[in-house]
Amino acid sequence: MSMLLEAPMTSHDAGLGWAAMNDTTAVPVEDPRGDGGERETELDDATLRRLFEEQALPFMDQLYAAGMRMTRNPADAADLVQETFVKAFTAFRQFQQGTNLKAWLYRILTNTFINSYRKKQRDPYQGTIDELEDWQLGGAESATASTSRSAEAEAIDHLPDSSVKDALQSIPEDFRLAVYLADVEGFAYQEIADIMKTPVGTVMSRLHRGRKLLRERLAGYARERGIAVPETTAPEKTGGKR
Amino acid sequence: MSDCGCEKAKSELEEYLHQELSAQDFQDITEHLAGCDDCSTEHLVGITLTEKMRKACKEQAPAELREAVALKLRSLTAQQ
Repeated sequence: MSMLLEAPMTSHDAGLGWAAMNDTTAVPVEDPRGDGGERETELDDATLRRLFEEQALPFMDQLYAAGMRMTRNPADAADLVQETFVKAFTAFRQFQQGTNLKAWLYRILTNTFINSYRKKQRDPYQGTIDELEDWQLGGAESATASTSRSAEAEAIDHLPDSSVKDALQSIPEDFRLAVYLADVEGFAYQEIADIMKTPVGTVMSRLHRGRKLLRERLAGYARERGIAVPETTAPEKTGGKR
Repeated sequence: MSDCGCEKAKSELEEYLHQELSAQDFQDITEHLAGCDDCSTEHLVGITLTEKMRKACKEQAPAELREAVALKLRSLTAQQ
């Protein structure tokens, strides 16, 4: 278990944390040069902010992209990212320098999304998908010849970006998050497990199912566009080899 | 050097792609892929899917968001 994800963050305590911090800590007046004045250990607000701006704000494009895939629209994505940065800044004193800031930010982003946005979005799959057995979704590997599979790879490669985003939007949210965190962001399975607060086995299963569904959707789009893609993936509800 | 076989390779291709395998398993699969057309094209689909997603999901945060966040941070530090 990594230390970095132990920071006490919930969507509800962040604001309180800030208020409490202001009440109880004697923070020196803003120091324009930001050298912290005579305080050696505790950073003043301006220094903390500068540190945060330097370290955390560069992740804004990435967090916004993730927010877009989570909320599916620019206005909500922007709100989500702003809320994430406010919470992250509020808790930034607790962040352990030298640990994985990106994973920490994604955990706050994901928590915020799950707590405040997911509720209003009504995912029809919510709460049921993990109950499905792997075999009910079919095996990931295709049963066809390798020549048709190279055609499949080529077809995927030629699809417009919008098709890929549509396909991602169309799969159940927990699958989409796992796939996004692994494939787009390159997080390790354990990091995804920490971010999504699920066991690694669940992460693997969501990834496996999510990628399989994506692949099917993309092959479908390719066929609609007249690109010849044979039925490459194993049909639903037939046993995989796992 | 013995080939790990298609069954093992196919069942671990996803972990292979995400670099979640032990060094030994990673090497076994790499060796198998080198000699197996079927598994290596399956792997190619997997790589293509990942790369396509990476490319398609790139976004740039709007300037208004940047400004809003900067403003928010300043107001948070000026509060006390």
